[in-house]
Amino acid sequence: MASDGGESKLRTFVVTRFDPDKDQVPKTQSYQVPCRPDWKVLDALNFIKDEIDPTLSHRWSCRMAVCGSCGMNVDGEPKLTCKTSLADYGDTVEIAPLANFPIIRDLVIEMDGFMEKFKAVKPWIIAAKEKAAEEGTYEQSPEQLAAFKQFSMCINCMLCYAACPVVSKEPDFLGPAAIALGHRYNMDSRDEGASERNAVFRGDGTVFHCSYANECSEVCPKNVDPAAAVNQAKLNAVIDWATSFVVKRSR
Amino acid sequence: MARPADPHAMQPSRPGRTRTAPPQVPDDFWTRPRMRTYLLFDATGIVYLLVGLVALRVAWALRDGKAAWDALLASFAHPAYLAFHGLALVCALFVGVRFFRLFPKAQPAHIGPAKPPPRPVLHAMLYAAWIGITLVLLAILGGVWPK
Amino acid sequence: MRALLLRLEPIIWLLFGAGILVGTLLLPGYLLTVALGAPLHLLPDGALSFERAHMLGSSLVGRVVLLALIALPLWKGAHHTRALAVDTLGHHSDGLVGSLLYAVAAIGSVLGIVAILSI
Repeated sequence: MASDGGESKLRTFVVTRFDPDKDQVPKTQSYQVPCRPDWKVLDALNFIKDEIDPTLSHRWSCRMAVCGSCGMNVDGEPKLTCKTSLADYGDTVEIAPLANFPIIRDLVIEMDGFMEKFKAVKPWIIAAKEKAAEEGTYEQSPEQLAAFKQFSMCINCMLCYAACPVVSKEPDFLGPAAIALGHRYNMDSRDEGASERNAVFRGDGTVFHCSYANECSEVCPKNVDPAAAVNQAKLNAVIDWATSFVVKRSR
Repeated sequence: MARPADPHAMQPSRPGRTRTAPPQVPDDFWTRPRMRTYLLFDATGIVYLLVGLVALRVAWALRDGKAAWDALLASFAHPAYLAFHGLALVCALFVGVRFFRLFPKAQPAHIGPAKPPPRPVLHAMLYAAWIGITLVLLAILGGVWPK
Repeated sequence: MRALLLRLEPIIWLLFGAGILVGTLLLPGYLLTVALGAPLHLLPDGALSFERAHMLGSSLVGRVVLLALIALPLWKGAHHTRALAVDTLGHHSDGLVGSLLYAVAAIGSVLGIVAILSI
C-alpha cells in the first residue's frame, strides 16, 4: 500500500468516534497508520477506512479544496483535510468533527442548522422587476464586481463556524459564512434587496453578535475574509436602520 | 480532548432523523494563542470602563474647584492609581494596534458614491491621526501651548 | 431585556465604534499627562495647575474632549465587557449583563454631560 516511493512514517491518529445507536457520548479511538511523506490528513483517514476500520464515517469529495465537504478539527484547528499536509504535524494527530456542530456520527456533523442560517439571508438576487430577455444582459463593471467578488468565493466548508467563539456561545447567531453571503448580495449592483437582508441582519441572528475575533478569516481556506464581510455588514445595517427613519420604503 | 460548546450551537430548528451528540470544542479552544489575544482584547473593556469613570472624576474635580483638583492629582500619585493608569496606557496601545489593523477591511467597498481610501492608506492615516492627536494633547496638557 | 438590546444594537454599536476609535486616539495623550505625567511631576510647573486646567476644561473644545474621554471609553468598555461575558458565561445572562453594562455607560455619560456643562 505505502511501499512504492518515499519512506512511510508510522503516525498515531486519535479519532473521535460516535455511533448514535450505541454511544451516549463521543469517545476517541487510536489508529496506527503508515503515512507516505506527501500524504494529506484525508489520505490517512481513507487508509483507516479502507485498511483498518471500515466503520469510520467521514465526509469528503473533491480532494482538491473546492467542494467544502472534508472540514474537520485537526489538532484543535478547523481544516480541510484534503488540503492539510501531514508533514506539518507530529507523530500523533488528533482528528475531531468540526467544532460547534451537533455530531451525527464519528466525523460527520449535522449541517441543517447551517443551511437554515444560510437560507435566512436570502442568498439570491432580489430585484423589483426581472429584466426581460429582450432588454439585454445586466451590465456590471469590474469595479462593481470587485465590491463583492471576494465574498462569492465561499465553498460552504463551515470551518469559520468551527472557529468562531460567538457561534460556540450564541445559537441564534447567523454566523460568518451566512452573513458574508448575504453581504455579497447586498453589495451586488444587480440586487435591490438590501433592506430585506439588513432586516434579517438586525434580527435574532444579528450581525452585531459578532465581536470581531477574526478567527473565521484566519481559518478560511479560500481567503473569503468573512470577518471583513460581517463588519462591513454592520456598518451597512446601521446606515440602513438610520435611513429607514427618513426614507419610507415601498416594499 | 474536547469540552462542550453551547448545547444548542448550530442546532437545526427541527430535530433530524438520527440522534446527535451535542456540539463540542477542542479542550484548548479558549486558550489557544490567537483566542487568548482576542479574549485579552475584550478584557480591555473592563479597563476602559474604569478609565471612563476616573475621567468622570477628573471632570467633577475641575467643576468642584482648586482643592478638589489638587486632591485628585495627589490621589493619582498613589501606586495603585499609577499602576492602573500604566495598565490603561498599555491597553490603549494594544487596542489601537489591533483595532487599526482590523478597521480598514471593515469598510465596505462603497457607501453610495463614497469610497474609502485603499486599505494601506487608511491604515497609515489612522496611525498619523493617533500620533498627531497624542502630540497635540501632549503639547496642550503638557503646558507647551497655550501658555 | 435581550429583545430591547436587539432593537438598540445599531445605536450601541455606533457608540462603541466611536468609543474604540476616538477614545483610543485620545487616551494616550490624556494618560501620559493628566494621569501619569502630572502626579509624577514630569510636566513643567503649572502645566496642569487648577487655573490652567480649568481654563482648558471650560473652553468649548476642552469640554467636548473631556466628555469624549468620559463617555467614549465607557461605551467601548461596556460593549467589550459584554462580549467577554458571553464568551465566558454564555448567552443566557446576556440580557441582564448587557443591560447593566450599558446602563453604567449611559449613566456615566449623562453624569459626564452634567459635569462638563458645570465646569
